[in-house]
Amino acid sequence: MIGNDVIDLIQTRQESNWQRKGFLEKLFTAEEQSLIAQQLNPERMVWVFWSMKEAAYKIYNRQTRIRAYMPLKLVCSLDSESSDCISGKVSCCGNLYFTQTIFTPDCLHTIAVTTPHQWSTVTEIEKKNIEKDEYGIPFLFSPLSPNGQAVSISHHGRFEKVVCLSA
Amino acid sequence: MNKQELILKLKAIIKPYTTNTEAFDNLTEETDFINDLNINSANLVDIVLDIEETFDVVIDNVDMERMLDVKTAVAIIETKLAAK
Repeated sequence: MIGNDVIDLIQTRQESNWQRKGFLEKLFTAEEQSLIAQQLNPERMVWVFWSMKEAAYKIYNRQTRIRAYMPLKLVCSLDSESSDCISGKVSCCGNLYFTQTIFTPDCLHTIAVTTPHQWSTVTEIEKKNIEKDEYGIPFLFSPLSPNGQAVSISHHGRFEKVVCLSA
Repeated sequence: MNKQELILKLKAIIKPYTTNTEAFDNLTEETDFINDLNINSANLVDIVLDIEETFDVVIDNVDMERMLDVKTAVAIIETKLAAK
């Protein structure tokens, strides 16, 4: 399965004040807060962790149909970091999700999958032939997948990303 | 504080985070913060923090998990105020 989350960092500065009292404590575990505090660019780490949680939650929501605002139950860990990509994991209620976050100075995009071998099949597609079920979960319909294929859509500010796993 | 006053205070809190003004103007107890008001999920925490400040209550993580619509938010605030 797949989930994604895109963040327009310019828009985020207008919408959110991550330095507000209580903000980090309500959204991030003690360990995540400690990693944020160690960063030269703490703002970027705040939104990397947030987008990891959002992308993983989209899979959890598709798997369980449970809807909840539970950022502290989505626990992030980091595996590797380069100048434009961070790989990590998110655990949630006994489930494990694998994430990759690609960033530019003004945009972050995290994709989450359920097993690492799915990375080679992640495909970015156009937003068409997509319908949502009664839970608001999107599916892609095509001649190859008449019953609907899992697809994840994220839109924020100037950016929109639609991703699925190719067969 | 009666329920109408509470909902008015809650409306004032959520207004700045709302992008769907039509849904906001027609707000009912059934209104969903994300699906109806198009509130960014990263701003739900601001609503929780604003509720804590405005009503002088503490919203724990268990309550925050359910804070997705007007009806639940009102019920949580009422419970917290009654326990004061």
